[in-house]
Amino acid sequence: MLTRQNCTFLISPSRYSQSRYLPASFSPQPVDRSGGRPRLVKRERVRLSRRMDSCFFRSSDFYVFQFRSKMRFSACLFLWVFFLPSITGAQQPCAFVLTGRVLSNVGAPLMNAEVIMKGQSRGEVTDESGTFTFDKLCPGEYVLEIRYVGYITQVIRVSTSDTKPLLIALEPEIKSLQEVVIEEKVEKVERTSTYSLLDASDLEKSMGKTLGETLRSLPGVTTIQSGPGIFKPVIHGVHSQRVLILNHGLRQEGQQWGAEHAPEIDPFIASNIAVIKDAAAIKYGTDALGGVIIVNPAPLPERSGLGGTLNTIVQSNGRSGTISGMLEGGLKNLPGWGWRVQGTAKRSGDFNAPDYSLTNTGVRELDFSTAAGYHGGKFGVELFFSHFQSELGILRGSAISNLNDLMTAMEQEPPIGTKDFSYTISEPRQEVIHNLLKLNSHWETEKGEWRFQYGYQSNFRKEFDIRRGALSSKPALDLDLRTHTLELEWESSDKANRQFCFGVNGMYQDNRNVPGTQRIPFIPNYTSFSGGPFAVGKFILNQWTLDIGTRYDVRSYSVIGYDYKNTLYTADLLFHNASFSAGISRNVGTHQTVKLHLGSAWRPPHVAELYSLGTHQSAAAIEYGLLLNDSTNEVMDIKDVPFKIEKAFKVVGTYEYDTERLQLDATVYVNSILNYIYLQPRGVTTNVRGTYPYFRYTQTDALFVGMDVAASWTMSTRFSLEPKLSLLSATDVRNNDYLVFIPSNRLEIGLKYKGAKHNFYIEPKVNLVARQNRAPRVITVREFNDAIASGQDPLGGSSKNFDFMEAPPGYLLAGVAVGYSIPSGSGRFDLRFAIENLLNTSYREYTNRLRYYADDIGRNVSLSAKYVF
Amino acid sequence: MLTVLFMATCATEEPQKEETPELITKATLTFTPSGGGAQVVVTATDPDGEGVQNITVDGPINLPPNTTFTLAIELLNGLVDVGQPGYDITAEVEEEGQEHQFFFAWTNDVFANPAGNGNLDKGSDPVDYSGASNSKDIGGLNLGITTTWTSAASTLSGTFRVVLKHQPGTKTPVSDATVGETDLDITFTINVQ
Repeated sequence: MLTRQNCTFLISPSRYSQSRYLPASFSPQPVDRSGGRPRLVKRERVRLSRRMDSCFFRSSDFYVFQFRSKMRFSACLFLWVFFLPSITGAQQPCAFVLTGRVLSNVGAPLMNAEVIMKGQSRGEVTDESGTFTFDKLCPGEYVLEIRYVGYITQVIRVSTSDTKPLLIALEPEIKSLQEVVIEEKVEKVERTSTYSLLDASDLEKSMGKTLGETLRSLPGVTTIQSGPGIFKPVIHGVHSQRVLILNHGLRQEGQQWGAEHAPEIDPFIASNIAVIKDAAAIKYGTDALGGVIIVNPAPLPERSGLGGTLNTIVQSNGRSGTISGMLEGGLKNLPGWGWRVQGTAKRSGDFNAPDYSLTNTGVRELDFSTAAGYHGGKFGVELFFSHFQSELGILRGSAISNLNDLMTAMEQEPPIGTKDFSYTISEPRQEVIHNLLKLNSHWETEKGEWRFQYGYQSNFRKEFDIRRGALSSKPALDLDLRTHTLELEWESSDKANRQFCFGVNGMYQDNRNVPGTQRIPFIPNYTSFSGGPFAVGKFILNQWTLDIGTRYDVRSYSVIGYDYKNTLYTADLLFHNASFSAGISRNVGTHQTVKLHLGSAWRPPHVAELYSLGTHQSAAAIEYGLLLNDSTNEVMDIKDVPFKIEKAFKVVGTYEYDTERLQLDATVYVNSILNYIYLQPRGVTTNVRGTYPYFRYTQTDALFVGMDVAASWTMSTRFSLEPKLSLLSATDVRNNDYLVFIPSNRLEIGLKYKGAKHNFYIEPKVNLVARQNRAPRVITVREFNDAIASGQDPLGGSSKNFDFMEAPPGYLLAGVAVGYSIPSGSGRFDLRFAIENLLNTSYREYTNRLRYYADDIGRNVSLSAKYVF
Repeated sequence: MLTVLFMATCATEEPQKEETPELITKATLTFTPSGGGAQVVVTATDPDGEGVQNITVDGPINLPPNTTFTLAIELLNGLVDVGQPGYDITAEVEEEGQEHQFFFAWTNDVFANPAGNGNLDKGSDPVDYSGASNSKDIGGLNLGITTTWTSAASTLSGTFRVVLKHQPGTKTPVSDATVGETDLDITFTINVQ
């Protein structure tokens, strides 16, 4: 029912708060801690999930809002809310009031149902009688979306000219609780920081793919690839040590220094994945120079009952099959307790390029995870364990020894050793196991919340090369990395417009070479302590939101290894520095937000960057660490080397425009990385096996400048258009040169047709990838060899970067996907049929390390089925 | 914090030293005249293995004209103690003969037999894989730890290149030097005088 009232506008600072932060936005009451009022169980769930991470960048933020309707009094929410005196509204008779009731299908009032006013920054939750009220409405039409956990979301259109009372009956939705929150578009948390999100439906589209490949669909995120099975995420041009991955709130600690070391995470454990693209993630410690990838699980159930999903995916390219299942539930008579088990098995044979098989690119993977937890009113605890195990083949034709081999390999197509399709994985190959155990808990007090987290990770990486005789069965690299992390923090929640978070985290690592590789270890053994305190504050003033944070970190290394003569050396290193971050966001009108973020981050060098010695899997290059003497190979003291800590200053500006029909995000960034550590080509060295180019870790100043634009334009109720653009220029400022393996500019255009029923959709998509014209000079292997043969320096006396091959030409890939849902008993089947590289285009991607040897993969037809119950 | 760091230092154990059977720090080529006489011995050494220092090759190989020699190749890893496993690489290559083959290339017709420029560029070109049991692998395919050569009749000068290829599972009667990974690739100056 609509009635007149006086006129003020209520605007939440975020374009995104419109649908999810509503409870708080519209609840100027103080935080309810009495527990006297009946609440839904879901509220506790939210609390628990909040703890999993922390403070402002907690990963759970990205799903918490899905339950916001049940956490009317959550302190967090207040922070993102303020009142703004009407500016535009003053001229209009914006005094209508809309009230309505939300009922269940049997007529029972639904309390705490979420009512969102689409295209407006407004929302409400229903009271005990199921009633909601919107006031101060201007005349016109409004679209309301009504959500309630366990019921099917309804969208209705209302007009200020309607006079009849509004009664909304929701149909129950029989599926797991987690499923309910799966929405077409998960909203971002209001932040001054810039990030992108892959929600459950995005993740569904890339089922069966690796984490890195999944992340590629986000603007500004690309990958460094080592063939069809190894994808390393790249954010705004930087990767490996410069990108942090948070898995269930823990820093993922593997051997991330290697460009062919993919993150050891099964994407099926995530309910959504967020990528923070500025250096703002102050609370996670050092290393986030490029950004942070946050892999979020769904919260544990807290009510009794059983839910689950089963996914199966088959793909033509690689003839792969993936099966992943999840089962979860609560405990009868033990409210607050919940559990989940999940597992994935995957097998893929050799992938194929349009014209030939990519021999030895198969994958085998077996992952499982289990979680259990309790959450009461003020206290919660959760235990999580995950196991990841994979075996990956690396293209046979990329296995080379010296420069001559490399020349042969590069000049042959199809690659050397190409055979017919097979599931066999032989050398060169990798075996990786990653275990993660996490215990976390939180305790709510009057003024805020204490949180504690302990994590233990063990990472085992074996790399097998083609070696003489029986040595092939011995790993050439065999590393055992154990990591303990401990975090304690406190977050205030007593003030609506000011929030503080303080904490301390520490990490202990022990990285060992497992004896028996019969090779001088590529990197030495080390133990490392790191950690430091941090403080973050968030302030809200009218339409301004301000974030500031700082931390101080220390990292020590105790290194022990063998040098080129196989004699022992030891070293103790200590690095310490401060990080800062400041962000500001301002709402401009109701539909626009402008954000600016400045961050200063640093990272201690990795032991691999300091002490590497030798050849690394299929590299045909020798790598030397920063601390090895240029001419004698002796390990030097860090004091005798002009080493400086790598620091990044990143400025990110974002403009967001959000209406019902058009959402637009445009991000511009400048990341200046001082003392950037990279592998610089230094020359050639000859040993008994022949001639090799050698690279030495060196420092320079690098500048990354780029722009990401993503938009979603709803052209009609059926059609929408989603373009994504990523532009990047990366330069070595000190040497006036370009860096290698920087992703080229790319544009993706997706069109979506939505059917009227059964979630039917057709999604054609094109990806346009430009040639990388900002690439270093090219010295082909043949030129290299000719120069050596005629006694000249193949590098021409210059240590400028070079590449062995021209950047491949740009390419265009087309694809199409069709999806359909079938209700089945109490569950539902989601079917998806997709064709990637529809035209079977032969292409090579500049950032794929195997581009020297083979084309990228050809057409891939996939069929996935998801059963939800 | 300092105490903690100190403890960390103390806690680090000395890692086990790896044997490095794949490293070849010294290759010796011994030409023995079949009719008796002085041996001609040349070596290539690379004491720093994966280190940045280049290999040093001595020589030249000075052969009297019109003489038949057996060439025996010895590969050693100086980083392993004498007598320890991994020291004598030649023995390993012989043991795994079915995965290895030596290829040869020379210039300026310095040999009367075999004629040509060697089998490195073209696998079917002649090289005399005979002279000892380790000339062939146990399957009878060419291995070449020992080979037989006859120097040219006239005074000539050129280069002599020896390449050891590792061809696990790919060695066949026709597999050439483009197959497999390179274990050894050294070039000497050769004079017939």
